[in-house]
Amino acid sequence: VRAVRLGVWAAGAALCTAVLVGTIRGHVVAAYFVGNALSTSTGEVFVVPHSQAYAGYLVALVTITLGVLVWERRPDSRTGILLVAFPLAGVLADPIVFAGSRFAVTIGLAGAWLGAVIAAHLILSYPTGRFTSQLDRGFVAVGYGFALVSAVPFLLFFDPRTPHYPWFPECYSCALPLTHVAWHDVTGVRHVLNGVGVALIVLYTALLLRKIVRAVPVARSVALPLAVVAFLAAARFATLLGLRLVAPSSNVSWNSAWDWSGTFVTLAISLTLAAGMLWGGAGRGAVADLVVALERTPPGSVRAALARALGDPSLELGLWLPERRAYVDREGRPLELPAANSGRAVTVLGPADAPVAALVHDPALLERPRLLQAAGAAARLALENERLHAELRLQLDEVRASRARIVTAGDEERRRLERDLHDGAQQRLLSLGLALQLARAEVGPGANGAATLLGEAEAELAAALEELRELAQGIHPAVLTEHGLGPALKTLAARSPLPVEITHVPDQRLPAPVEAAAYFVVSEALANVAKHAHASAADVSVTCEDGSLIVEVEDDGVGGAEPRTGSGLAGLADRVHALDGWLTIDSAGDHGTRLHAGLPYAVAAER
Amino acid sequence: MRRRVLVVDDHPSFRRFATRLLQSGGFEVVGEAEDGASALAAARRLQPELVLLDVLLPDMSGLAVAEALARDSHHPRVLLVSSRSASELGAALEESPAAGFLTKSELTAEALAAFADGAP
Repeated sequence: VRAVRLGVWAAGAALCTAVLVGTIRGHVVAAYFVGNALSTSTGEVFVVPHSQAYAGYLVALVTITLGVLVWERRPDSRTGILLVAFPLAGVLADPIVFAGSRFAVTIGLAGAWLGAVIAAHLILSYPTGRFTSQLDRGFVAVGYGFALVSAVPFLLFFDPRTPHYPWFPECYSCALPLTHVAWHDVTGVRHVLNGVGVALIVLYTALLLRKIVRAVPVARSVALPLAVVAFLAAARFATLLGLRLVAPSSNVSWNSAWDWSGTFVTLAISLTLAAGMLWGGAGRGAVADLVVALERTPPGSVRAALARALGDPSLELGLWLPERRAYVDREGRPLELPAANSGRAVTVLGPADAPVAALVHDPALLERPRLLQAAGAAARLALENERLHAELRLQLDEVRASRARIVTAGDEERRRLERDLHDGAQQRLLSLGLALQLARAEVGPGANGAATLLGEAEAELAAALEELRELAQGIHPAVLTEHGLGPALKTLAARSPLPVEITHVPDQRLPAPVEAAAYFVVSEALANVAKHAHASAADVSVTCEDGSLIVEVEDDGVGGAEPRTGSGLAGLADRVHALDGWLTIDSAGDHGTRLHAGLPYAVAAER
Repeated sequence: MRRRVLVVDDHPSFRRFATRLLQSGGFEVVGEAEDGASALAAARRLQPELVLLDVLLPDMSGLAVAEALARDSHHPRVLLVSSRSASELGAALEESPAAGFLTKSELTAEALAAFADGAP
């Protein structure tokens, strides 16, 4: 690739040199008729002063050299290639030295507008060399199309020895284009094309203004110097075309000051363009502000501080988590870095094998590499901190989720156990009860007390069945699964030894873990009331408030309840916390005990 | 005349002993079914006077079977039975068109006779 670049540079330099030598040796008179028709001038025979020939040569050479340098330094950007193409197109379209060569004349006529379109392409796509807007892309495509189409009439009909230009001296040594068909007056066509050209320049100026207005601040500061020069160039070109339209015989282009202005504009374009790309400003002031700002930046706001310092509000921050080998945002959500050519650029901060963070930003920021590096270094500690925060948050989320999963899995297991007991042992014992009943009937009342024995066995079995039923109910209440919280709480109230009033229960079904937690909270609370509170009655209320199920159990007992470690209440608190809920017990004084729990059900439903 | 009964339960041993109990109580067990769909088919075919119907069936709830039977032109008296208590089964049981409910541990020859005689 480097050899290709060197080759391009050498070819460009050789071509420029040939043009210079040709110009100075005075092949001008004959050649200029070709140039006349194409772009730059109308009027009389004109000999290019040597000083201007040298200046033109130098500008072309400098531009080609800068283009190759930009190409070398920034292979990702197409700007370098376009910067090389820009003066080469100009040289080829101005076959001043090769006026006797039909091939050179043909190329020159075909590429007459090419240099101007390449310049527009270069400027509208600066600094990445890729368009950010479909409108820009479309405009440049139309520009290339216009350049090709507008060459056609000249390629077919143009003859420098035309009698339609009465002020031209005879030009016997001029060559016709290879594609020449017939000899016609193309002056009218040229006027039309010049008119279209002026319209295109106006459109181009509007697009350039739009690009500058819409750019993020850093992109604007990168592109602004170039844009100023580009406006000047456009204005100059438009003036030339306009003058040709309104006053075809004016000879403004013969003015040497006018020609010098063209040379300077070309030089200014290539210099501002390359300066932006090769010598990006350090932005020390912005970094100093960043250092101060980071002092007062709360965790989670480093992105905003960096975005301000770098002048890119669209900046995104990816924090590298080494264990996961992935980038996440500050909330711990995974962040995919954009692919190449996605219109976004990525700068990785820290060593390549152990990055700290990645900045996803506007590609224009690449023109400020030192600002990027300095800002990255200044924010290093804050980013390290931010990364730890993100990692912690992620781990906390995972622990929370796994805790909820453990509770849910436990509930599921209890439900299964209850079903197994119900479908298995309980059914067999019930059948056994029927069998004993039948046996007692078969034996009859007077068979050596066998009937009495069987009766006792039946009673024993009934007791066992009742215990089994309570055990199963304690493991998991089937009524909760099948009929919901309301009926389940009613059975709890019915079984409680003291009067329990249920004041509110929601009608709707809620996620199973939430219903189970609410049920067990009430169950444990009522058991505690019965055991310790010396209460005469208890109230239970379950309501839905703002996406949470609020459970309240109040009694009028002696108070003094507290969720000690290992107690039933502490276990319940764990279960409630696992669902991101809360549980408080107000048991001070002699106003009884009030248990208050909240269970968010919207979150539980997502799990 | 012996009263014709259909026994519906998904546990074979329960069906067997319940059948024996019913027979010893003077009922005629005309058929057995192990789930809701076959219970409905059997009831329409055999036209029993009584159906001993488990609440928890594998394919549908016994309560739904009772409702479907109540809509039939020949609607037998339904005695729902369950290993769960009435309070565990909740409001749906109270709204059921079934004529009576017993927990399985309350199921005795006497209770069946009382139900057949018209007591709830």
